[in-house]
Amino acid sequence: MTMLRAERVTLGYGRRAVVHDVTLDITEGGVGLIGESGSGKTTLARAFLGLLTPMSGNIWYGDQTLKKADLRKFRKDVQPVFQAEALDPRMRIGTSIAEGLPRSARSRVGELLEQVGLDPDLAARRPHQLSGGQRQRVVIARALAVGPRLLILDEPTSALDVTVQARILDLLASLDTERLLITHNLAVVERLCRTSHVLFAGRVVESGPTADLLAAPAHPYTKALRDAVPRLGGAPPEARGRTEAVPAPSGCPYRLRCPLAAPECERPPALRDLGGRQAACHRAEEVLT
Amino acid sequence: MIEVRDLKVRYGARVVADVPELDVGEGECVAIVGESGSGKSTTLLSLLGLTQDAEISGHVRVCGVDVLTASPRRLREIRGARAALVMQSPQAALSPATRLGVLMRRALKLHGVGTAPSAGGTPDEIMDRAVEAVMLDREILRRYPHEISGGQAQRFAIALAIALGAEVILADEPTSALDVTVQAEVVAVLRGLREERGLALLLVSHDLALVSTIADRVLVMKDGAVVESGPAARVLAEPSHPYTRELLEALP
Repeated sequence: MTMLRAERVTLGYGRRAVVHDVTLDITEGGVGLIGESGSGKTTLARAFLGLLTPMSGNIWYGDQTLKKADLRKFRKDVQPVFQAEALDPRMRIGTSIAEGLPRSARSRVGELLEQVGLDPDLAARRPHQLSGGQRQRVVIARALAVGPRLLILDEPTSALDVTVQARILDLLASLDTERLLITHNLAVVERLCRTSHVLFAGRVVESGPTADLLAAPAHPYTKALRDAVPRLGGAPPEARGRTEAVPAPSGCPYRLRCPLAAPECERPPALRDLGGRQAACHRAEEVLT
Repeated sequence: MIEVRDLKVRYGARVVADVPELDVGEGECVAIVGESGSGKSTTLLSLLGLTQDAEISGHVRVCGVDVLTASPRRLREIRGARAALVMQSPQAALSPATRLGVLMRRALKLHGVGTAPSAGGTPDEIMDRAVEAVMLDREILRRYPHEISGGQAQRFAIALAIALGAEVILADEPTSALDVTVQAEVVAVLRGLREERGLALLLVSHDLALVSTIADRVLVMKDGAVVESGPAARVLAEPSHPYTRELLEALP
């Protein structure tokens, strides 16, 4: 079942569009949005949270667009999890979590802290008295307080030490809420998302089952991302293409960086079906083999 | 290039870094890995005498200079020139109103590089070669710091070190603020410099996977102490300390 859907959405700030004509469903089993800084992934997340109105296109929440939907219900259903710096430094942890709860349910604070693996006694502390990992757990508990069906997570672990990150990922995997995960870390997506979308310069360049995307990318950019990730005991990460090249203003936006760029890439490629996934590349068949 | 024996860095009574032995030879890459608070950055900074208010004991030689007893003048000769520091976000250290070329020229002048005839060419030639060595376009020298990306800034910081004749680079999480694709480029540049110029590299990182692909030897630090050290292939394939195993198992 699709809870949220972006339909031909263009997003931007002022008149400048940074996300172009994106159609994307948030399906079950976790959805990953992958891309470099500046790819538009956080902007898209803001639109899914109803914090940014599309310049064109619609965000669908069930059978209603977000413009018409009951926002009270929407905000209970869809909760953001940002990096832990978003906690109010003056507020006690318990108060921070209880904000989202009705007065009668304030006793649930301890229960929520336990659910994210924290000692209920921490409710009396303030954010600076907690470690980074504990603060990230509090942010998750706070999001869970209203009983959401979907969590939208923007780089939830990237500021944390590896051992702490591993435990937060275990926690997220154990929750029975749906999730949209925004990250540049492919390994995290691999664990938590059944489906993934790769964004480049505000456009979806490849979508499909995460396992397929990583095993055999169909877009040269997905391949570049995958091959750049260092693997334990593996060969040094490969640098494919020049990362400083700007997105091309016309045709395929990736062509100035792409090692496979050919004259045909001056025509914009459409997302097309390649057996269970979509990629926007004229030469996808060559990338796949 | 770097020789450390019985290094102890203290803040008051607290020992924040205790490193019995650390050597980095020409063309070698040694990595210090650990989590926040492990003392890895403190160790790196103490090698250049950059830890403020800390009490340092032991024996530290960098490029043949005894860092703990050297005069400030002698220290300046190696710091920033023969031994260069590369930080996580170099952009923060670049003057925003100065073009990168002007900045590099000033640094060369300050260290007296390119002034003597036949010493590696004119400043312009030295600058062009340094920028080329890190795979940047010469055109970057005309830009201001805000006009370049994080990956370009990091490569410029390395180019600056090359221009000043660095023999050893001490890098503190040089790629952790970068996208993976950009990280791959910076790593390729560092590897190339090691192989072609015999540059020694001391790398501080939390990323064991990255370290496993470039380091010859590894020191694992926890709470200020070195818990395990040895050849990277051995430490990462057959860790003997439980903490190293924990770090490895935590990799997603």
